Amino acid sequence: MKIIARGAEAIIYENEAEIIKYREEKKYRISEIDVPLRRSRTKREFTALSTCSRAGLKVPKPIKISKEGDKLYMEKINGEQFDYVFSIDKMNEIGKLLADINKLGVVHGDLTTANILVKGEEVYLIDFGLSYFSKKDEDRATDIFLFKNALKARHPKEFKRAYELFIGAYGATMGKEFKGIETHLKDIERRGRYHENS
Amino acid sequence: MYVLGIESTAHTFGVGIIKDGEVLSNERDIYRPKEGGIIPSEAALHHYNLGPEILKRALEKAKISLTDIDLFAFSQGPGLLPCLKVGYQMIKFLANKYNKNIIGVNHCVAHIEIARKVTGLKDPVMLYVSGGNTQVVTYENGRYVVFGETQDIGVGNLLDKTGRRLGIPFPAGPKIEELAKLGKNYIKLPYVIKGMDVSFSGIETFVSQIIKKHRMEDVCFSLQETVFAMLMEASERAMAYCKKDSLIIAGGVAANTRLNEMGKIMCEERDARFKFMEKEYAGDNGAMIAYTGYLMRDYVQDDLSPRPDFRTDAVEIKYR
Repeated sequence: MKIIARGAEAIIYENEAEIIKYREEKKYRISEIDVPLRRSRTKREFTALSTCSRAGLKVPKPIKISKEGDKLYMEKINGEQFDYVFSIDKMNEIGKLLADINKLGVVHGDLTTANILVKGEEVYLIDFGLSYFSKKDEDRATDIFLFKNALKARHPKEFKRAYELFIGAYGATMGKEFKGIETHLKDIERRGRYHENS
Repeated sequence: MYVLGIESTAHTFGVGIIKDGEVLSNERDIYRPKEGGIIPSEAALHHYNLGPEILKRALEKAKISLTDIDLFAFSQGPGLLPCLKVGYQMIKFLANKYNKNIIGVNHCVAHIEIARKVTGLKDPVMLYVSGGNTQVVTYENGRYVVFGETQDIGVGNLLDKTGRRLGIPFPAGPKIEELAKLGKNYIKLPYVIKGMDVSFSGIETFVSQIIKKHRMEDVCFSLQETVFAMLMEASERAMAYCKKDSLIIAGGVAANTRLNEMGKIMCEERDARFKFMEKEYAGDNGAMIAYTGYLMRDYVQDDLSPRPDFRTDAVEIKYR
């Protein structure tokens, strides 16, 4: 097994056919917090991925969870991280995919440009470690809000146009439910601690 | 070049003097409400009354007089407007009197600049934790970008509010830390991370409902362990995402030993560097304003009025 990435939350290994996401013990947290947190996130990620992949959406198919509950085995996608192959041509697809995922009742919870893989024409969302089930407008708006911030921070030059394309596709796919989400999005943006002239 | 800086965003009124980037003096006084939380007008009155005395002390320590000062810097925000106004008026008076320029400094930017200076870490992630502020900040593309922050109250505010329920006077942090050391039983509290953001008001409500059913020590222990773990997780995520290999913790809550211990462990586990900051520079102080004013000495600023909602990423960093 080879380590392919060391994120904040987990180490990602791969073998020939699978990706293994191992949520390592965090020694800074007491075990009363750490153990249940890592188990519940692994389980939640498995459920979110299986819900999406069963509906035919572009996410890695989950395979199994280890006995200890801290390793998630999933299908390997030979794509590249979106940050490295950033292109606004993909924004449409990303907006549509997120809307489809949200429509299934899954909220990604941590959507950044680093959690998107590009494989040829296809776009995949990965890392559902902070995902949860909700159909609330506010929770869906949080997905948009986090992605918007990540986009602004990582790709400031292309941000404006990229976001327009993304939100356009998201809104079109979401349909009439989008109106409520948009209201909550504005509300979240206002609620942030310090905002001047915006 | 001598720069004098005034800090007056909240509880602290501080005056610092810098010579060519080196700190000569750093004097302050902290307003402590008799009961309850900060009353902005009372804090402002504290600053107004003690300001001249603190200024005098800073000059004496630095062994210079006001005529030697080349540049006057003040904390422009974010903060409480009545408090900000005191610093602004004082600096305006001094700059006019001695016919020198004024530099308006962002309080959060000043925290990270003084931290970089005293720790020697060139490009750290800063976890900035105080009563009103909770942010994870780092440098990206010419600005200090806030990668994660509280979606509601600051972590210090959470500690103070809980402290008040336990009969602990402001600031509650040190006493909570003491009690937490005696806590043994972990009470499960909500652990709320949204992406890189954290949220505390739900925890505050939850704690208020269970507080009477448990030992005080266990409440403090559980509260610290939960919220500090959340802050560490947010910090670690920013480090991983922005590929930064060092961490500093600033702000009033940075005085907490357990929080620093967690920072150290987290950094060790990912081969990153952690440096502890002395309280003198971790908390609000005038030297950080003077030092950042010195870095910004060539800036031309149109608007010098206090900005209570001044965002960290609103400042273009031209000197780095």
